[in-house]
Amino acid sequence: VDDDGAVLTALTRLLTSEGLEVRTFASSREFLAQHGPGRRGCVVLDLAMPEAGGLEVQQALRDDECGLPVVFLSGQGDVPTSVRAMKAGAVDFLTKPVEAVALIGAVRRALERDAIQGRIAGLTRREREVMAQLLQGKLNKQIAAELGASEKTIKVHRARVLHKMQARSIAALVRLCEHARPE
Amino acid sequence: VRARQARIALPPSAAPALPAALVALSYYLAAHVGFALTPQGSAISMLWPPNALLTAALLLSPPRQWWLLVAAVLPAHLAAELQSGVPLSMVLGWYVSNCSEALLGAGAIRLACGRAPRFDAFRDLGIFLLLGALLAPLLSSFLDAALVTLLDWDGGYWRLVSARAPSNMLAALLVVPLVLTWAQAGGAALRAPARRLLEAGLLLGGLTIVSLLVFNWLDPGARRAPALFYVPLPFLLWAAVRFGAIGVSSANLILAAAAIWGAVHGLGPFVDGTRQDNARDVHLFLIAVTVPLLLLAVLLDERRHVELQARAQRQQLAHLSRVALMGGLSGALAHELNQPLTAILSNAQAAQHRLASGRLDGAELGEILRDIVAADRRASDVIHRLRALFKSGETQLRELDANDVVREVLDLAHGDLSMRHVAVVHRLEPRLPKVRSDRIELQQVLLNLVVNACEAMSGVVARERVLKVETRRGAGASVEIAVLDSGPGFATSAEALFEPFYTTKPHGLGLGLSISRSIISAHGGRLWGCAMPGGGAAFHVQLAAALPAGGHPTLVQ
Repeated sequence: VDDDGAVLTALTRLLTSEGLEVRTFASSREFLAQHGPGRRGCVVLDLAMPEAGGLEVQQALRDDECGLPVVFLSGQGDVPTSVRAMKAGAVDFLTKPVEAVALIGAVRRALERDAIQGRIAGLTRREREVMAQLLQGKLNKQIAAELGASEKTIKVHRARVLHKMQARSIAALVRLCEHARPE
Repeated sequence: VRARQARIALPPSAAPALPAALVALSYYLAAHVGFALTPQGSAISMLWPPNALLTAALLLSPPRQWWLLVAAVLPAHLAAELQSGVPLSMVLGWYVSNCSEALLGAGAIRLACGRAPRFDAFRDLGIFLLLGALLAPLLSSFLDAALVTLLDWDGGYWRLVSARAPSNMLAALLVVPLVLTWAQAGGAALRAPARRLLEAGLLLGGLTIVSLLVFNWLDPGARRAPALFYVPLPFLLWAAVRFGAIGVSSANLILAAAAIWGAVHGLGPFVDGTRQDNARDVHLFLIAVTVPLLLLAVLLDERRHVELQARAQRQQLAHLSRVALMGGLSGALAHELNQPLTAILSNAQAAQHRLASGRLDGAELGEILRDIVAADRRASDVIHRLRALFKSGETQLRELDANDVVREVLDLAHGDLSMRHVAVVHRLEPRLPKVRSDRIELQQVLLNLVVNACEAMSGVVARERVLKVETRRGAGASVEIAVLDSGPGFATSAEALFEPFYTTKPHGLGLGLSISRSIISAHGGRLWGCAMPGGGAAFHVQLAAALPAGGHPTLVQ
């Protein structure tokens, strides 16, 4: 999302040259209007735009409880703004003109985060409860007692969680989830 | 430079020798002019310019060289006077009285002014009139008459004084301002544009013809018509108003030459009385004309000078506030440069990526290059406009399209507007008449209004920050530019905002609006502000429409 057409075209070219699929929006209003809750991917946001700037868009996304990861792109990277953006969960805060490596790296990380969030969204309520316990480092027996289920059932849930989250071990699951929610 | 000067240096005394020789030669020639203007059978010339010439030369050179000039004119004096068969003792006496006049006049003026007098300063002219044109000729005439009477060469002490003093006063009035103004400003005057030189030529030519007509050529029956004396007046006033002291002193010379030549040769209006009466009439007439004209010219020069100074100061102030304004916008301007730089970098790197993966076709490369070129031009436009705004220079009123200036300002402020999340709505009336204005200064005023409007809206929610810029034909034949914001308006009277040092900003100087108003006033326009009924403030710039090129008499308010 950038109100500058030339920048929009150039960034699109760069990202598509990396094989990424890109949709462009010339204003934050246009973006928010077309944005739906089920959309996946990540958003690269210009900070300085008329009407609503990048930070406001980020806030709007959070208000909608949309987990779309945000990469900020700003003309002047002043510290307070970037701190605010990162605290609000931005994947990265890049300054213009942006190096291809930095932008593509940030977008890839954001997409990865989005993918993990997608996997989390694919879990059932029970599986999510089990995962929360697993992340706290609890054993199957403890979880079974906590959730009032048999240890065998928890074992099945645990295997499903690891499978759906594409994690080989609990340690890998912890890493993945930390990556998805940096707050 | 100093070393080179030393190598080709003349002996120390040779440096002032050239001007001294020049002064001696002019003195000699001036003496012959004096002889030529001496009526048959009279000892006293109607105009004796050598003394005044020496006075001017002394005023133009440092006092430590005066002795050299005074010494240099002795041979010239002897050479000129001895040809006329006057006894040597009398010739030497005249040398003493002539030099005493010059030394007295130049010395007193120099003491009073502290330097050579400048004929664009009223005070200096006053000093010159009193000391150089009145006192020195009068006192030296007492000395001169005393010497002449003492040497028993001519009788009648008071008759001599009353004949010599006005003649020498007139010479001082004619020659000293002429020489000084030409020495001080002649170079600049001759380098003036061709139109001005043509005007000066017309003026001096016209004056010459009219003066010759009135004082030399006219049929004797019409001689005494008093109205004829006023015929040269328009030319003299023209000289005073348009060309200042240098013009008046030149014009005076032409008038005096014609009047005196006529009187000496029995032509024109000054021929009916006795020789003394005629001389007195000519002197009185010329003194009465030249003194007020000099005063008028210098007064106008001085006013022009003050106006120029005020204008230069205003321009300097405008430039400083422009620099301050740009300083405040520097973040936004960096953004303005960053955008095209981002486009260039990303386009180029996209091309590199595609090239590396072998997926770049010619058509796409062409497109990428075209975009890079466009972005580069955009960046250089930003820099170009910035440089223009930072430049300090003369105000240049040109015919401009107000809409163009508005667009340029919105481009310049684009970064600031984006950073402050201000949406811009502009309504520009097509086919506006042109206005006469300085592009940079008008940009400055509008930029200042735009920045103020943005700052006024900082307390408003982002989606309600709207800046409106409108242009339209105003009342009469004028063009109006309005800058409207959706801020809280203002509590004070709108006029208070234009007071110098009035500010509502923590780091504001409070000069922006007052300087803007002085700029627009200097363009002959108006700048005012008002709070809008629905909230927000509106600022209006009204400029008179320029006359269209076809010469349609579009009325200017």
